Amino acid sequence: MYFDPNEYLLNPYISFLNWAVVVGCLTFVVLFISMVNLVATRGANGIGIFFDELGEMTADLFHLSPRRIWALTRLTYTEAIRRKALSVFVVFGLLFMFAGWFMGDSKEIKPDQVKVYISFVLTTISWLTLPVVLILCCFGIPEDIRLRSIHTVVTKPARRVEIVLGRMIGIWLIGCLVLAVMAVVGHFWIVRQIPAESQPLLTCRVPVYGTNIEFLDREGNFARSGVNVGDIWAFRSYIEGATKARAIWTFRNVDESSLDSDGNLNFENSFSAFRSYKGDMTRPLFYDIKLFNPAKNLAYTTDPQPVNEFRHKLDKIPRKVTVDNVQYDILKDFVNEKRELNVEVSCIDREQYIGMARSDLFIRMPDRPFWMGYWKAVLGIALTLLLITMIGVSASTMVKGPIAAVLTFVIYFLSLKDNHQFMDQLVFGQVQGGGFLESIYRLVMHMGPSQELPANPAFTVVKFFDWTLNNFLWLCRHVIPYSQYFNMPEFVSNGFDVPWETSILPSLLVTAAFIIPCVVMGYFALRIRELESK
Amino acid sequence: MSQSENVIEIRNLSKVYRDFWGRPKVRALNALSLDIKKGEVFGLLGPNGSGKTTTLKLLLGLLFPTEGEVKILGKSAADVSKNERIGYLPEESYLYRFLNAYETLDFYGRLFNMTAAQRKERSEKLLDLVKLAPQSRRRQLKEYSKGMTRRIGVAQALINDPDLVMLDEPTSGLDPLGNRDMKDLILDLKAQGKTVLMCSHLLADVQDVCDRIAILYGGELKVMGRVDELLKAQDETQIRSSKLSDAALKEVQEVLKRHDANVINIDQPTASLEDLFLKTVQESRERPGHRNVIDRQSVT
Ligand SMILES: Nc1ncnc2c1ncn2[C@@H]1O[C@H](COP(=O)(O)OP(=O)(O)OP(=O)(O)O)[C@@H](O)[C@H]1O
Ligand SMILES: [Mg+2]
Repeated sequence: MYFDPNEYLLNPYISFLNWAVVVGCLTFVVLFISMVNLVATRGANGIGIFFDELGEMTADLFHLSPRRIWALTRLTYTEAIRRKALSVFVVFGLLFMFAGWFMGDSKEIKPDQVKVYISFVLTTISWLTLPVVLILCCFGIPEDIRLRSIHTVVTKPARRVEIVLGRMIGIWLIGCLVLAVMAVVGHFWIVRQIPAESQPLLTCRVPVYGTNIEFLDREGNFARSGVNVGDIWAFRSYIEGATKARAIWTFRNVDESSLDSDGNLNFENSFSAFRSYKGDMTRPLFYDIKLFNPAKNLAYTTDPQPVNEFRHKLDKIPRKVTVDNVQYDILKDFVNEKRELNVEVSCIDREQYIGMARSDLFIRMPDRPFWMGYWKAVLGIALTLLLITMIGVSASTMVKGPIAAVLTFVIYFLSLKDNHQFMDQLVFGQVQGGGFLESIYRLVMHMGPSQELPANPAFTVVKFFDWTLNNFLWLCRHVIPYSQYFNMPEFVSNGFDVPWETSILPSLLVTAAFIIPCVVMGYFALRIRELESK
Repeated sequence: MSQSENVIEIRNLSKVYRDFWGRPKVRALNALSLDIKKGEVFGLLGPNGSGKTTTLKLLLGLLFPTEGEVKILGKSAADVSKNERIGYLPEESYLYRFLNAYETLDFYGRLFNMTAAQRKERSEKLLDLVKLAPQSRRRQLKEYSKGMTRRIGVAQALINDPDLVMLDEPTSGLDPLGNRDMKDLILDLKAQGKTVLMCSHLLADVQDVCDRIAILYGGELKVMGRVDELLKAQDETQIRSSKLSDAALKEVQEVLKRHDANVINIDQPTASLEDLFLKTVQESRERPGHRNVIDRQSVT
């Protein structure tokens, strides 16, 4: 599901609108499929039945009874417990009993080790809860239909929407229960593994990233990026030392709350160094940070600071700084009226390079306690479970259990970061030579991509087909949830708090986006089909 | 006015089962029309596979008709709100096997939006009514015998104190005592003014409890009418008395002869619904398409 956090930061209205469009499209597609299905199974009456059902469904929504939903929730819940879904704890217990052996228990702990502990716990928890939920949600309703126990439910005043919702909530509750127990155990485990003197490593940094980064080249002109030093991770750009090359960040919303308890503005960076000649390898490269306000023609530059390669480096800038013997207040004099602060970084060493990307410099707000981030990450897993539950339950109303499970898994798989990016390429990559049919035609006719197609109705059809297909792909790409939003454990294991705008909010919205289409799908699937096992 | 008294109206109802590809497989029901009135006990009879269960499922909206239509309690079969006043016992008790008797009734009670107190009271009452042994009420249904499952199934069907009860072979799996209880239960429901539609193969019981019956064969209605009317042979008189001596018997025969009556036989009476049933099935087999409807009530 599509919700672009960057877009949101720039313009919340547009991004909500886009989100709503995708939700609408998805609902529409679900309705359309239901209608086609009805026409296929009941002939011409199908259309009439479809609109009747649409009315019924709307009426159902107003007759929803919490007590009935709760009854079905409890049923699902009891079923899962009595069918021994909780035996997953055995696996969990075993894993944690033996994990200690492999993780070691040294006196002194490095930040990387903390990261391993945290991500071990959170990954284990998600990989244990996901399959449980997947199985429960994909096999529940099909079993109910196969054993026909659903007959005794649908001949009671239980609405189909309630059946679907009851299932979803029940399974999600089980998932959350399992998750909560594991998370509590995991939390204690992490804290216990880390000796007292290393406990400060368990923290949640709260970064405020710059909204954008700009580069000046060695002559001091604006450039799209810095220098590429052949680093395969091309996301960092490099600036050359002792030239006019600079990297410039703009930070928004800088105010009192950005300062730490001592009144310092903390900048944290993870710059990387690139040496064009060896020089003195033991001597680090140096950079400085300049705060500037063009409107007041004011600039403050820090002392040269060593690059802390492969590690984070913290620079504290006091609120009151002295420039040319005059004292200035950073918040009053450097932060402009739009509450923006401009920051420039330069490399000091001649013919050496320092590499940076937008996220390599941030204002570090006061830290939050570890448990806060940890439980936000757990929330991220809970949301993933909810998403899987919704997709799985609604898939299982249409097809048999194993197929529903495969389908749900495929959707989950596609949602993973790399696969999602591949879809992006599919949808946005094709530019020249038209869409699917058109390019086939061009291939067969040995036609170049830039040649004009003859104007006749056949090609209009071809183009229309391609347009539809492309839009369908577009929808698929936007509909498949982007699991990266849900990947809150990654923040926590890297020692960060889970950010609201780029992770929690999108996850919530993506999850919410599925509620309507999934319920509509569940309703129609259970209504338009005879609930006999076939 | 008589129209509104009909609890169930079936018009020209047909059902063709299709396979996955939509190709017709079986014509399970063919142009069935019948009405069931408020307060009557109606028996749906027929050999295996004659379409009884199919009819019930069509009435409940579990299946969709191929042709024709159905009105039940004045609503369409697809209307969920009709279920408020209906109780249904499926052919096999499709209940949740991991629940115990109390939980089962509690669950179904919740589906009717009953309060906790109502559910508790009603469950106790029903479990007593269907005579489920108290010590088995806390055991999961998967441990139940067939008859016990049947009993809890009946209790489940009555949880909402329905106006219309549909029972698909209520006595299957019950012991003779259970059979007896079931019969009493149905008569009791009738006494309370409820409408009962039941399928059964136990003809003696049907004869005892049903006001009207219909016999289906191969999805078609063959016989329908009031039980007493159907079983009353129109042009025969049966005389029943205590055992007569040979002399007395001779005298009686003489009297009959004097009145031009032709003595067919003088015999002990038989379980005659069984006769009717067998005759109907036999006839249907020999003369497809034949139909015999004696339905005084719907004529007047
Ligand atoms: N789900 C189904 N798919 C295909 N055919 C079916 C299905 N259910 C029933 N039938 C067929 O429909 C016909 C009528 O079946 P139905 O269950 O209504 O009979 P019945 O009168 O209830 O029989 P019984 O006395 O054995 O319960 C049978 O020929 C049966 O094979
Ligand atoms: Mg049957």
